[in-house]
Amino acid sequence: MTMREPNIYRTESLDAWEALGYAPDVSDLPPWDKTTIVGAGVPRIDGHDRVSGTAVYTRDLALPGMLHCAIVRSPHAHARVKRVDINAAKAMPGVHAILTTDSPEAKMPWILTGQGPMSQLLDPHCRYEGEEVAAVAADTPLQAADAARAIVVEYEKLPMVVDYEAAVKPDAPKVHERGNQLAPPRTSQRGDVEKAFATADAVVEHTFHTPCELHVPLEVHCSVAQWDSGNLAVWDSTQGVYAVRDSLAVAFKLPLSAVRVTSPFMGGGFGAKLELGKYTVIAAVLARQTGRAVKCALTREESLRCVGNRPANTLKLKIGARKDGTLVAIDGSILGAMGAYPSGATSSYLMLDLYTCPNVRMVDSSVLINAGQARAFRAPGYPQAAWALEQVMDELAAKLRMDPVELRLKNIPTVSQLRNNQPYTSTGLADCLRKGAEQFGWAEASKRPASKGHLRRGVGIAAGMWGSGGSPSATAIAKLYPDGSVNLNSGAADIGTGTKTVFAQVVAEELGVPVEKVRIEHADTATTQYSPSSGGSQTILVNTPAVRAAAADVKNQLLALAAEELKKDVASLSVSKGAIVIAGEDRTVPFAQLRSLAQRQQLVGVGRRAPHPPGKVALPFAAHFAEVEVNTRTGEVRVVRFVAAQDSGRVMNALTFENQVLGGVAMGIGFGLTENRVMDRVTGKLASGSWHDYKVPTAMDFPVDFTLVAVDPHDKECNSVGCKGLGEPATIPAAAAIANAVCDAIGARVYDAPITPASIVAALASKGGR
Amino acid sequence: MLPTFTYVKPASIGEALRELATPGARAHAGGTDLLGCLRDRVFTAQKIVSLNGLSELHGVSDLQNGGLRIGALTTLAELAAHPVVLQRFTALAKGAGAAASPQLRNQGTVGGNLCQRPRCWYYRGDFPCARKGGDTCFAKEGENQLHAILGGDVCVMVHPSDTAPTLMALDASVRIVGPRGARTVPLDAFFVLPSKDYTRETVVEPDEIVTEIILPSPPAGAASTYRKLRARGAWDFALSGAAVMIARKGKTIQQARVVLSGVAPVPWRAPAAEKELVGHELSEGVIARAAEKATVGATPLSDNAYKVSLARGAAMEALSELRGAG
Repeated sequence: MTMREPNIYRTESLDAWEALGYAPDVSDLPPWDKTTIVGAGVPRIDGHDRVSGTAVYTRDLALPGMLHCAIVRSPHAHARVKRVDINAAKAMPGVHAILTTDSPEAKMPWILTGQGPMSQLLDPHCRYEGEEVAAVAADTPLQAADAARAIVVEYEKLPMVVDYEAAVKPDAPKVHERGNQLAPPRTSQRGDVEKAFATADAVVEHTFHTPCELHVPLEVHCSVAQWDSGNLAVWDSTQGVYAVRDSLAVAFKLPLSAVRVTSPFMGGGFGAKLELGKYTVIAAVLARQTGRAVKCALTREESLRCVGNRPANTLKLKIGARKDGTLVAIDGSILGAMGAYPSGATSSYLMLDLYTCPNVRMVDSSVLINAGQARAFRAPGYPQAAWALEQVMDELAAKLRMDPVELRLKNIPTVSQLRNNQPYTSTGLADCLRKGAEQFGWAEASKRPASKGHLRRGVGIAAGMWGSGGSPSATAIAKLYPDGSVNLNSGAADIGTGTKTVFAQVVAEELGVPVEKVRIEHADTATTQYSPSSGGSQTILVNTPAVRAAAADVKNQLLALAAEELKKDVASLSVSKGAIVIAGEDRTVPFAQLRSLAQRQQLVGVGRRAPHPPGKVALPFAAHFAEVEVNTRTGEVRVVRFVAAQDSGRVMNALTFENQVLGGVAMGIGFGLTENRVMDRVTGKLASGSWHDYKVPTAMDFPVDFTLVAVDPHDKECNSVGCKGLGEPATIPAAAAIANAVCDAIGARVYDAPITPASIVAALASKGGR
Repeated sequence: MLPTFTYVKPASIGEALRELATPGARAHAGGTDLLGCLRDRVFTAQKIVSLNGLSELHGVSDLQNGGLRIGALTTLAELAAHPVVLQRFTALAKGAGAAASPQLRNQGTVGGNLCQRPRCWYYRGDFPCARKGGDTCFAKEGENQLHAILGGDVCVMVHPSDTAPTLMALDASVRIVGPRGARTVPLDAFFVLPSKDYTRETVVEPDEIVTEIILPSPPAGAASTYRKLRARGAWDFALSGAAVMIARKGKTIQQARVVLSGVAPVPWRAPAAEKELVGHELSEGVIARAAEKATVGATPLSDNAYKVSLARGAAMEALSELRGAG
């Protein structure tokens, strides 16, 4: 069932698609030259709905007769269910149905692998604190919660392991019978690392740790399920209605056409909502049993344990360069903690492709622990990799007595070494470094003498890229109505990034209608067109070419009609502001005045995305610059200034672009300075299980002095709109830039994230006093 | 979710005391801590006795002797912005302003802030710890990076309040009323160390309520401040903090009170640091020596030795600020 990993994160599947020779069936539009509506800071078309409370999120949904579900979860990190007693719960008011590990539906296989399923829907073998054991459907959420509490479960506790570095040891408690490492370490290499290090003038080697980070989207996971004549309808707070539909079809053995998944307003996901969750299936099972709609809304506490995380990593990295800064070798390994079930836990993409380096060897391995399963999290593996790579690059620069920006500029690739040295359609990495440095005043700031006293200022830089160019398929349909208004239909979820607004701008730009006249119908597998999931920074770049093509299709039909009706040469006609413009004439003809349009009632345009040009790679890049102030008395670190330079191709909307980068940098501040899932080492239970103890950064932790530098390389090849991904590259280098700035400030490096007052105290002590 | 309880809102203190004397009753002021504890099943309640109908428990008023009377229901936001508090009892304004978030400060009361339950993640979480009637303190062998370096015993939680250390530095007293009458307890004697009784944090009995806080007039030449260290810029309890009040004649310190937060199960008076200050000018050397002495007797756990540095750092920052101000 879910189980299909979100393939947007796997470069090999992209290559596999390319090997299929996917052929677009829509003629490629030439890239826009200048745009007037696309790129403007158009406020969100749904902004008022979202802030005024009128937007209906899945959580707000109330269907007639709807029941509410509460889930009983294992309180132990590792245990076996001995007995479940539902007698008391069954008799409680409002209770309609109860599922337990003894129910036939509980046996539904879960986590399909080549070696068979690794679990089941309600598994008596509980492998982490929070694993689902039973569920109740009742008239009200409170009745359901009370009944769930009244279910008595007897457990036999089993030995557990939550320390991932301990979990790899042969005598560690086993999370699954087949062992804690499901696959041997994966080695990626090119050239000869050993030989190359022998030629290096400077070598740097360190071990880094990054914490387990939690997604904490504002809207907690929630599904509503309802059956109708054997068809399943699910409203889900998800980033990918199609991905959830596919998995539900497998789970309930239904044809795709019998499953409808809808994601109305959606309150953030960051990767935690890319797949089908057990809570959704449980709601659907209970809905089938009761003949009612069933809502399953997780609590914040459940979400902190059970629906994903950025896996903790241990990164060992060695890097060597010649005197002039040319990189000769990178050698390293990454160990990642998957949680209780398999999941992507590491990425060495940055080591393999960010800088030109002929000799690289990276060994990736993952281990199971008795904790919630990892999920994709805003650039899975990349912030961890940047944390290590960009810090050793900094030390290398220091060793070579080179400017860190110069060292990076010395090693900018123009081809993707990971993809047979195929050239990039555009690479703004050098421009990000140069223009970011200029905006930041790097040359001056980096040469400032070390500050004295207890308040120490420092500056740091880090670069990054994102290695996914997006899925190949997306379809959109545009409908022009006789009054000149437009319905744009796309399956993409707007997960809070402003997707709908950008779509409306693209339609407006291409079809010559005002943004306000465009209505977006989206994220419904029954009524909207296929879009891949809104993850992997692909939503805009994958869908807007299809949206543009659909709008262009309508435009072409409209111009042909207008030419006939107005008896003009079609080449003399164009569209602007909802009207036909006739070359050489003053008058314009509003769409609404075209009789031929009124007669047809609607014009329907279909657009599909064309894949990237063959033999080329289209990816986004970034460089971040941070200034920090460290108080050596108190260990406090304040980010006082930040410049983010982003090459994501064309800026589609100046406001949402800045929003994405602000959010990405804020998330990087959390990763670098405050966030850390703490598991109790004795019981394996979550210690940091509340908003107080899991520390998402606040507005007070974000610098007032923040500047965005949008580096647009005017990519004419990546797609017909010229944009690349943004959501993920906006967060990748942020924490590493802060770490480098901290090192510059205090003259000692902190290798483990997050950098807390405790780690500043330790770093200062290791340096020898304050 | 919440346990089933009845709700009453008495109009007089007498009535409130009668309600509180009934089984399973708990007092409710701002509710920012109570409701969370009930929802998280830290403890339960059969009756919620709202104090919000007791108008005499609201507000700040000047006393004839130059001191201040603060009703227990005064919100943290009111204290943080109160002109007299800001000017003459600066540490308190800073402590109230440094607590929680704007929303919580608008709702949370100073009485509740003093009487709040521990924020230890084991106490709040699904762990049967000693303070909740279990037989162990999970932090000792477990995740103790946020826990006590001083005063720990059966329990090593840290007292979470930011107003308590400042009130203690300002030599405040608390007025408590109950069925056995009223009493006034100096803040120095208000909090209970785990070695004495690890199931309670204050001397307030379940059938008593805190009605007001009495601040004496600050001594001549007094100045006070509070410096809080935390892991993020807002909505966070202190990793460590220092509330300091000094009274100077000329440049010489006549009186000093130094109280640490975030390092012990109670706001931690640091008499050794106070001794370093009295009789001296607030020089850089004196500040460094006093800060050093502030943590005398600290016995860090496996993961919280850094708090020794932080507590000293907080004391240094607070004292340095007063030096600048003096």
